[in-house]
Amino acid sequence: MTKRDISICVNGKWYELAVEPYETLLDVLRDRLGHTGTKSGCAKGECGACTVNIDGKAILSCLTLAVQVDGKEILTIEGLHKGAEPHPLQEAFVKQAAVQCGYCTPGMIMNAKALLNHNSNPSEKEVRKTLSSNLCRCTGYERPVKAILEAATIMRGKDER
Amino acid sequence: MKDRLSVVGKSVRRIDALDKVTGRAKYCIDLKVDDMLHAKLLRSPYPHARVTKIDTTRAENHPRIRAIATIDEVPRVVGYWWNLRTEKAMKRMYLQDNVVRFRGDPVLGVAADDEESAQEALSLIDVEYEELPALFDPIEAMKEDHLKIHEGGNIAIHVAKKFGDVDQGFKQADYVFENRFVTSKQKHASIEPIGTAIADYGRSGRLTVYTSTQLPHWSRIYLAGALGLPVNRVRVIKPYTGGAFGGRCGLIHGLEVMCCFLSRKAGRPVKMSFSREEDFEATEARHPFIIELKTGVTKDGILTANSIKLILDVGGYGTHYIGVLADALSTGVGLYRCPNVTFEGYCVYTNKSLNGAFRGYGNPQMNFAQESQMDMIAEKLAMDPVEFRVKNYRGLGEIDPVFDVPIRSDGMKDCLAKGAKKFGWNKKRTRKVDEGTKRRGVGMSCLQHGTGARFGLPDPASAIVMLNADGSANLLTAAADDGQGNRTVLAQIAAEELGIPLEQISVSDTDTDVAPLDGGTHGSRQTYCGGLAVKRAAADAKMALLRFASQHLNVEEKSLEIKDGVVYDVKDRSTNIRVGDLMRKVQIEDLSRCEQIIGYASGVAPAMPPTFGAHFAEVEVDMETGEVYVVKLVGAFDVGRAINPANVEGQIIGGEAMGIGYALTEGLIIDNGKIVNNNFTDYRILRACDVPQIDAIIVESNEPTGPFGAKGIGEATMVGTAAAIANAIYDAIGVRMKELCITQEKILEAIDRGARASGV
Repeated sequence: MTKRDISICVNGKWYELAVEPYETLLDVLRDRLGHTGTKSGCAKGECGACTVNIDGKAILSCLTLAVQVDGKEILTIEGLHKGAEPHPLQEAFVKQAAVQCGYCTPGMIMNAKALLNHNSNPSEKEVRKTLSSNLCRCTGYERPVKAILEAATIMRGKDER
Repeated sequence: MKDRLSVVGKSVRRIDALDKVTGRAKYCIDLKVDDMLHAKLLRSPYPHARVTKIDTTRAENHPRIRAIATIDEVPRVVGYWWNLRTEKAMKRMYLQDNVVRFRGDPVLGVAADDEESAQEALSLIDVEYEELPALFDPIEAMKEDHLKIHEGGNIAIHVAKKFGDVDQGFKQADYVFENRFVTSKQKHASIEPIGTAIADYGRSGRLTVYTSTQLPHWSRIYLAGALGLPVNRVRVIKPYTGGAFGGRCGLIHGLEVMCCFLSRKAGRPVKMSFSREEDFEATEARHPFIIELKTGVTKDGILTANSIKLILDVGGYGTHYIGVLADALSTGVGLYRCPNVTFEGYCVYTNKSLNGAFRGYGNPQMNFAQESQMDMIAEKLAMDPVEFRVKNYRGLGEIDPVFDVPIRSDGMKDCLAKGAKKFGWNKKRTRKVDEGTKRRGVGMSCLQHGTGARFGLPDPASAIVMLNADGSANLLTAAADDGQGNRTVLAQIAAEELGIPLEQISVSDTDTDVAPLDGGTHGSRQTYCGGLAVKRAAADAKMALLRFASQHLNVEEKSLEIKDGVVYDVKDRSTNIRVGDLMRKVQIEDLSRCEQIIGYASGVAPAMPPTFGAHFAEVEVDMETGEVYVVKLVGAFDVGRAINPANVEGQIIGGEAMGIGYALTEGLIIDNGKIVNNNFTDYRILRACDVPQIDAIIVESNEPTGPFGAKGIGEATMVGTAAAIANAIYDAIGVRMKELCITQEKILEAIDRGARASGV
């Protein structure tokens, strides 16, 4: 098979790459670009650890081929904070003790980010429903749900100002 | 005392949280080493076979293949650190033969320039097998003596223990209850798959291994033995770890040792990562138990005799089975005051993937049986199950017969009372809400679980505290943090003891070249055992510091205290010096001194205090579909003292969620030796929408031997969840579920059985 040339923008920076047709976005992010913040937990779309945002939507990067995202802008966990200041979601996860082993955390946060993009005031039930595509073995989900609700409140406050 | 504490008892932020939420934290799977190769395993397609021929010629000609290591040369590490006590026992840890004992057992490893080439090479290797008959059922395996899975036979160990006189005890009983329970093979299912390592066998004979192990120091010794190296030549580095729960409590079958052999052969670093399917199929899981339980009790609810027979399915290779069996004793013998007990256990090899350590060791299995049995007894005696427990549990001052030591802290009554209150036990028991086809029920269980392994295994903990010229400190510890947060807790303990702010403590990487001997993260031991070592090391540093302060301030040492980074005279606070100023003088300014203060501690904890706990569960069962929905769970745990309450609550809620899975959905299904549900669709761990309201209650009984009164928590949190849920299901449907996991099919079958029994 021949490689295909693509250009993708990851966290604001454009990359020109020659990729195999079978290469996933997850592999490109991790192995080629060194963005290992996006995690691999099952490589078949079951655990959600590889969630990134494309066009503001949550995408499973392990089920997305790199050639499919040619020309797209991709946001990963590494691109969420502004300078030294963490994103409100990141801050809330730390504050609410929503992080244990932390392996599912980037996927959870990126999934929550996409939720808040189109629903700035989700109910607990909506948060739980969204978060149901992220497996977590440590927390029992309670504190991540709390953190997302808290971040939503803070982000709404910031918008109003 | 509580008021005087600065940082112990506070839910401070985790020291590693910011790295984790920004994607900066590097897990083993994220690591790269220059010039590294990628390895893959060829695994046995048969559950039991002898490898008769391996032809690697075609693979060796592959241009990107750099090394191949086969079953003929690479030993498998069996047993655990119990074996390290004698040279003879240690030799038995390294099993080398050409037999594969489960489907997925590694036959050889290939290291190549890239993963694709390694995968390709596997198809170029021809292996011939002589298939052997396979044994899947432990009861059958016990009987077979002509067909041996291991040289010594299929019974890995048989243990029999006796306390009092059970025959006499059963004679004294008014009622005798006899039941048989079966438990499932649960998988750890940490979200970072188990099975990534990098081995770098340097040309100078120094071996560096990166692996997400719970046991950096024991792993170092295991690896030194496997490679024939002195221990000092082996360095184990544990990066961030994506959950462990016992699944990384030793070397991973086919992983680190294979990487080391491949690296030595290729002269380059070698990385291997198991897929999720390999994690499910070929790494350790929870031992399935068969439990036969016979309990005698008087009309007044006094236990007179308990007879316990256990059969543990060890799988193809044995690692932790002795410890797992021993931990079943903590519920079987330790939990209740019963003068006459017999305990008999068989650990049996079968041709299935291996079983090992898993949160709770053997206690969740035994607790499910014992606490189901207690529920049946309470019902027969028409006693409230909570009262029945209060009447019989072994509490403060009593001697735990397993370890022959007194219980020094006991929050069980508080756990039961506070849990029952929060749950609304009395109200919910009497008022049943049944709607349509749905039936509600409530159930409870209680537990005790030892902290650490003081009386069972070598159990060292060590720490070094180094004070810097500005008054800050570095804590060197090899206490592996797999996500529990124990590195944060240890920093809190060091800060409290030294009297300096938490921000002035840095915790070392988990690296055997840097941090001293530690017995590993298992047995809920790091807050207690690790904490005691850190507290002693900090106290040692503090003593030296006060000696200098005494000379400088001209005040007796015993009148000096440190708080918020300032040494002061307790009689006159105006006589003081900042720790930073003092340290600068000692280390740099005073040219006749130039000394760093280094405190250290190493040794074993004085006790193995039991954590007590109680679970309360409410379920709703759909009588038509057999579906069980857990409506509410309350977990109350006596942790002695919560050093970091948010971390403790995190353990409780996470453990309860894992316990719901153990009760209802989690069990590997094995068909003819093949694990069928090797993915997250077919092996169901709970998702956010499945988890009910879980209330975590912390009880503090102040363990006198613990650091600031603390004892363990991690494992206890799921020990009794399954029993509480099973008891609630019984309350709802009127049929007793004695087999885990309690699937929809089993419930429907039970409802059907119940209906037939009552003649409906």
